[in-house]
Amino acid sequence: MIDKTSTVQHAIKNNVNAGDTIFIGGFGHLIPFYLSHELIRQKIVDLTICRSGADILFDQLIASEIVKKIIFGYVGNPTVGLSHSFSRAYKKKSIEIEEWTNQSIIMRLHAARMGVSFVPSKILQIGDKPSNIAYLKQITCPYTGHKFSAIPALKPDIALIHAQCADKYGNVQMWGIDGDTIEGALASDKIIVSVEKIISNSKIKESPEKTVIPSHRVSNIIELPWGAYPSYVSGYYSRDDDHYIEYDATSRDEDKLSSYLKNWVHDVRNIKEYKKIIGNTKIKELEEGLCGVKNED
Amino acid sequence: MKIDYREYSPNKRIAIIAASELVGHKSCFVGIGIPSDAACLAKLSVEPELNLIYESGAIGALPLSKSYSTGSPSIAHGADMITDSLTVFSDLQAGRIDVGLLSAAQIDKFGNLNSTVIGGYDDPKIRMVGSGGAHDIACLIPNLIILMPHDPRRFVDTVDFATSPGSGRDIKKIREQLNLPEGPSVLITDKAKFIMSDDGWLLHSMLDNFTFAEATEGLPWSLKPPISGPIETDPSIISALAQINY
Repeated sequence: MIDKTSTVQHAIKNNVNAGDTIFIGGFGHLIPFYLSHELIRQKIVDLTICRSGADILFDQLIASEIVKKIIFGYVGNPTVGLSHSFSRAYKKKSIEIEEWTNQSIIMRLHAARMGVSFVPSKILQIGDKPSNIAYLKQITCPYTGHKFSAIPALKPDIALIHAQCADKYGNVQMWGIDGDTIEGALASDKIIVSVEKIISNSKIKESPEKTVIPSHRVSNIIELPWGAYPSYVSGYYSRDDDHYIEYDATSRDEDKLSSYLKNWVHDVRNIKEYKKIIGNTKIKELEEGLCGVKNED
Repeated sequence: MKIDYREYSPNKRIAIIAASELVGHKSCFVGIGIPSDAACLAKLSVEPELNLIYESGAIGALPLSKSYSTGSPSIAHGADMITDSLTVFSDLQAGRIDVGLLSAAQIDKFGNLNSTVIGGYDDPKIRMVGSGGAHDIACLIPNLIILMPHDPRRFVDTVDFATSPGSGRDIKKIREQLNLPEGPSVLITDKAKFIMSDDGWLLHSMLDNFTFAEATEGLPWSLKPPISGPIETDPSIISALAQINY
């Protein structure tokens, strides 16, 4: 078996190319902030980024001007407000978009995962359809005569995801909220995974039902504890809601957002420094919060 | 028991009215915000059998602290089951989830909802968050209840963009041809309950001590006096409010 452990710098440099389509994992839970920030640090441009419900990580990637296009069902700062960098880019027409719905994005990924070019669905046949998805076709079922929309497959070049743990070979174990993370990963040609902890293969074999992605699909594994902050990781740390709330004010102002990105992305040389910026008080609070290591059932 | 509804915030009043509407349902597709509060309130009072289902894949959840995302710790913590989003959307499409609750930035006379843009799609005044799962729920759920704070700016004749399709005579015809459920049947504001007819919303009933003028103030639709007496609330709903007080 090949040891696939790597550094975040090498994993991104060796696997991601300018112009790639990237699926980014995490549905409120397990958002790969630190791993995806490396795209910004390495200035890999002309990217298409996709997922169903996208939060402030998408906003940060858009603000960093490395994104050519987003394919999404939702983009915002959940409950708090809008994605201000997205709104600005949309109004300036400096970003291309394909606007779907959460279910249709997930079905697009599912089609790619199953190796078919489309799946039928009842949605997206009524209501207003964004002009950027006008190519969506309707089909008639050969058995019943019923009409369906033919949801086209979406096969990303690469998926970036975060999980609780993996062994060095790339068997990935994940629990808690998944959303479309596993769907998107398995739909993609390559998968890079950051984890809270690298564990032994014998530990993996104790509960193989927790393994959601098998080693042969994974390109690289990187141990990045706290790499999903300010989102959360069940069994490790809770979500920093305050960070999301403050990000709203920060991202309304382009200068403030630049200093935020300098502080949280550009100047951060390794995951230890990221953890240092989060700070011990916050770390303790989040470990004790809901779903954190000190507050498990 | 006489309830003084004005003691409660507008959002709490919506949750109170909506909780009664959930009686008899076993599964509810829930979004974050007022919909989640309303479903929790029903579960804690008049409909303990109700299973709350979130698009993140959490089933049998009961968030008793503030949740910002459908994937938040408070949704995951204490859920009976966590599956993936494909599973819950598949259940939704298969007609296996009874009732859904939605809110939006704009609503029109036929219950079309807008969460995409204010203004034109290509050149909007405000670019909003997009559908998320709202379009999908509005197309697929057998019983759809819409929850809207009574803010006249959000009530329009025709939405700027129909993110989530409504109902009424013409849309129902198209829905029928596509084998889709009828669409939104109930609209709840912080003052009143409306029901869908072929010609759009009808005022059904109002909270006690609210006037017709208050219940319809600033709404652009032509509305007649309510067809039913004041909204009745089971006292257990009011007692349970303390538990969703975050």
